Amino acid sequence: MSSPAPAGDGEIVVSAHDLSRSFGDFVAVDRVSFEVTRGEIFGFLGSNGAGKTTTIRMLCGLLAPTSGSGTVAGYDIATQADRVKTRIGYMSQRFSLYADLTVDENLRFWGGAYGLWGDRLHRRREWAVEAAGLEQRRHSLVRDLPGGFRQRLALGSALLHEPPVVFLDEPTGGVDPEARRRFWDLIDDLVEAGTTVFVTTHSMDEAERCHRVALMHAGELLALDTVPALKDVFPKDCVLEVGCPRAADAMERLEEVAGVEDVSLFGDRLHVVVDRPDRIGDVETELDTGGFTPFEVRAVTPSLEDVFIKVIRDADAGEGT
Amino acid sequence: MRTLANILVKELLQLKRDPKILPILFMAPVVQLTILGYAATTDVRRVELAVCDLDRTPASRDLVDAFTTSTYFRRVVTVPSQDGFDAWLDSGRARIALTVPAGYAADRTAGRPVEVQLIADGSDAMSGTLGLSYAQGVLQRVAEGQGFRLPVELRPKVLYNPDLVSRNYMVPGVLAMILMIMTMMLTSMALVRETEIGTMEQLLVTPLTPGSIIVGKLVPYALVGAVEIGTALPVVLFWFRVPLEGSFAVLVLLTAPFMLCTLGLGLLVSTLARTQQQAMMISTFVFMMPQIYLSGFVFPIQNMPQIFQWITYAIPLRYYVTVLRGVFLKGVGLETLWPQGLAMLGLGVVILALARLRFRQRLG
Amino acid sequence: MIRRVLAVTVKELLQLKRDWRTLIALLGMPVVMLLIYGFALSFDVQDIRLAVVDRSRTAESRELIQAFLQSGYFIRVASLDDTRELDGLLDSGRAQAALVIDAGLAADVAARRPTSIQLVLDGSDSQTASTILGYARQIVAATAPELLDVELEPPVAAAPVVWYNPNLESSIFLVPGLVAFILMITSVIATALAVVREKERGTMESLRATPLRAFELLIGKTLPYLLVGSVAAAGSLGLAWLLFDVPIRGSILWLAVLTVLFLAGGLGWGVLISTLADTQQVAFQMGLLSSMLPTLLLSGFVFPISSMPAALQVISHIVPARYFIASLREVMLKGVGPEVWWNDALALIVFGVVVMGLATVRTVRSL
Repeated sequence: MSSPAPAGDGEIVVSAHDLSRSFGDFVAVDRVSFEVTRGEIFGFLGSNGAGKTTTIRMLCGLLAPTSGSGTVAGYDIATQADRVKTRIGYMSQRFSLYADLTVDENLRFWGGAYGLWGDRLHRRREWAVEAAGLEQRRHSLVRDLPGGFRQRLALGSALLHEPPVVFLDEPTGGVDPEARRRFWDLIDDLVEAGTTVFVTTHSMDEAERCHRVALMHAGELLALDTVPALKDVFPKDCVLEVGCPRAADAMERLEEVAGVEDVSLFGDRLHVVVDRPDRIGDVETELDTGGFTPFEVRAVTPSLEDVFIKVIRDADAGEGT
Repeated sequence: MRTLANILVKELLQLKRDPKILPILFMAPVVQLTILGYAATTDVRRVELAVCDLDRTPASRDLVDAFTTSTYFRRVVTVPSQDGFDAWLDSGRARIALTVPAGYAADRTAGRPVEVQLIADGSDAMSGTLGLSYAQGVLQRVAEGQGFRLPVELRPKVLYNPDLVSRNYMVPGVLAMILMIMTMMLTSMALVRETEIGTMEQLLVTPLTPGSIIVGKLVPYALVGAVEIGTALPVVLFWFRVPLEGSFAVLVLLTAPFMLCTLGLGLLVSTLARTQQQAMMISTFVFMMPQIYLSGFVFPIQNMPQIFQWITYAIPLRYYVTVLRGVFLKGVGLETLWPQGLAMLGLGVVILALARLRFRQRLG
Repeated sequence: MIRRVLAVTVKELLQLKRDWRTLIALLGMPVVMLLIYGFALSFDVQDIRLAVVDRSRTAESRELIQAFLQSGYFIRVASLDDTRELDGLLDSGRAQAALVIDAGLAADVAARRPTSIQLVLDGSDSQTASTILGYARQIVAATAPELLDVELEPPVAAAPVVWYNPNLESSIFLVPGLVAFILMITSVIATALAVVREKERGTMESLRATPLRAFELLIGKTLPYLLVGSVAAAGSLGLAWLLFDVPIRGSILWLAVLTVLFLAGGLGWGVLISTLADTQQVAFQMGLLSSMLPTLLLSGFVFPISSMPAALQVISHIVPARYFIASLREVMLKGVGPEVWWNDALALIVFGVVVMGLATVRTVRSL
């Protein structure tokens, strides 16, 4: 399901070393370190308030770090923010084009803001219009465009100056699945051309499309690896998918069973994490006696969400002791 | 230069797209100026006069006529005894009450000095004060008509506004106020709107420097200010017929530093506010109201307690009101108004520096 | 019905309690504004900057000049030998008036010839100029006979008496108007925002789904603000009495009745605006413009209504502050009862009923 390994030469394009940011007493980002190589899709996964946006804003030079350091495209984010800005594209979580300007006027303006002019500006505008599929509507006001088109136009306008690194902060919020798929196709094209993409999301599906995923929670980086490697935190066959009646009630009962580490609800099914594959029998017996006779119990490949829940619980438990 | 032009084009396109902007730009100053120009008058004319003539002789009637034929007074009632005044003054239907004592004609014929009684309604201190002083003037003229001369007379000579028309004084002030409100409000809203919709952040990740973003934002609103002046000046000159004694060039020249202040204030507000609503609140209560009240536009600065007089030095509108009144009524030029120009320039620079500082803090 | 209104009121009060910023603004703003502007604003002309040109330089001329300076109204900013320098002083505003005494004064007085002195005035501020001229006339009329050592009385003179405000202090006249101005702005904006906020958050939708009638909803929402507004009004009026020596000669009960009527009108106006505006920003703008400017200009707060053109006088009849300021001055300064101001009270009631009625109709229509 995840993309193949990045095609790049392994050159480090984005790096963070013990990057921290506090707002008063509140520590939004707590000593985060990582490196991103050229041509990689680097996913930042976490719930709202985990510190993803704060990290991205520091990397883009919008926010000064409280401590720690970082580089983007070879420039220091604290001392060379101006140079950084010429080398990156940024698409914030809020829609950020001028709704009262037309498609073309927006592209002209943003291109100009990045110092493009003449032939190059013309070429890049044509490219962005085409990438967004807006050839017929280049003179429409942006406010009249459907959400999916706007999203792709925003991405196109962030890429007008052909930056080697792109930061996307929850780029597909509020967009329908079809538009979301087309958006990701665009990202895959970029990466093939050697662009590095740094994307935050709280959607597990999107995270699965990244080369590597960093899990953030309460300001801390809890795990960072490729998707398959992340899934290896579970021993083989230790995540069971259970289909049974009154799943929510059955959940409470299963939590009491010896060897069951975690139970969570996935749609109308339960995901049960056990310490050994042979616990499967115990689970079935327990459900039977409790009157929740299951119609299906099977070992499954853990989803990223299982990983996410486990990593956070382990971290919280670690803090508790 | 190309960067700046790029921002300007975008701002002007946006202004053009806003359907509300044209009426606001062209109608608002004219409408405001017309209404404010008529309403904001401190002339007291036709003061309501209640009369009680206890003498009832031709001489006493002549005296009452001296009041009612002047343009200052309007007789609303004649009561038979002074008790009748209460109801008229209590209800505010009369502001001044005149009593001619019994024996007035006899005393006058005998050459004995007479006192007539005047009661003023002090609850409306403005009409009261002026009413009393008009009444003194009427009595003085009556006395002079009888051949009475003070050994030393006072010859008043009124400069700049010989007919003492308050409109000539107020209308330039109104013009200054409107210019301030429009430029300050529009600037603060424009910047906060970018923050609200998220484009400000997008602008900040581009290589554009904060300086060019700010200048690009200010220039269109300086143009707006110029349009305001252009539409409002004809109303001042040709509708209200306020004389322009001084030079138009000086007016324009000294408007520039004032706009620097108002645009800077708009910018400062936008760095203090997170939403357009907050921007409105801050600019109204923290910046606009104090400027209107403490600029000397309506309430003379010299009447304020000392501490407030000091505060007024920090108010750009104070200087601009002085400039406008100086140029319109006194016909003075830069040789007199340079301190005001310099003060506005200084304030403008300080305000812009503050705004720039806040702008940076918001980022860090 | 009462229970439903009460439910809305209680909810509104709870929200107000949580939103302490707004509450502080509603209660504190009037007091702060009254403190600042009550002290700062005045029409009492003082410290008139006088330039003196004494070409006579005699005991007589000095006596006249002293009479001006000792009156307490004038301060001397310059003594000149020549009138040529006067222009610069008056042009720049460093002097507001100039007293010019010619060389022949003493000789004229000695010879008992009628003579005169000149007062040059900066007339640009017509009101201040009229006041200065009045002061100067009084001073000359009092001093001139003394120069000649004669008892000289004009054949007709005035014995002025000032009622209600014997010293003609402008604060006593301005502060009641200021109270009305502040209350109007805060009450209109607070209610307009409260209702529109509900629209913005979408809770208006949920309220529409309940059996609440439009009228009940509006009453329920305004009652808490009436309460808060009354507290703010009591505070402001108390402050006016304490700090600015504005007397309260009439009955406090009548004062309260008039204030509540006025507040109700202001709140109703706020509700009406909220039915026209969809966002808090628009509501704020409309509320501010429609309450601040008319209350400042067309209520008789500062500018006398009787001096305005007829058209504006007609418009001033729909400005509730006009009636409130008039009746406030009558109750506080004149101490009179409803027999005098019943028509003002009636106008306030009519205004309140009309705007509340309009607001209800608009709400019903939008439902």
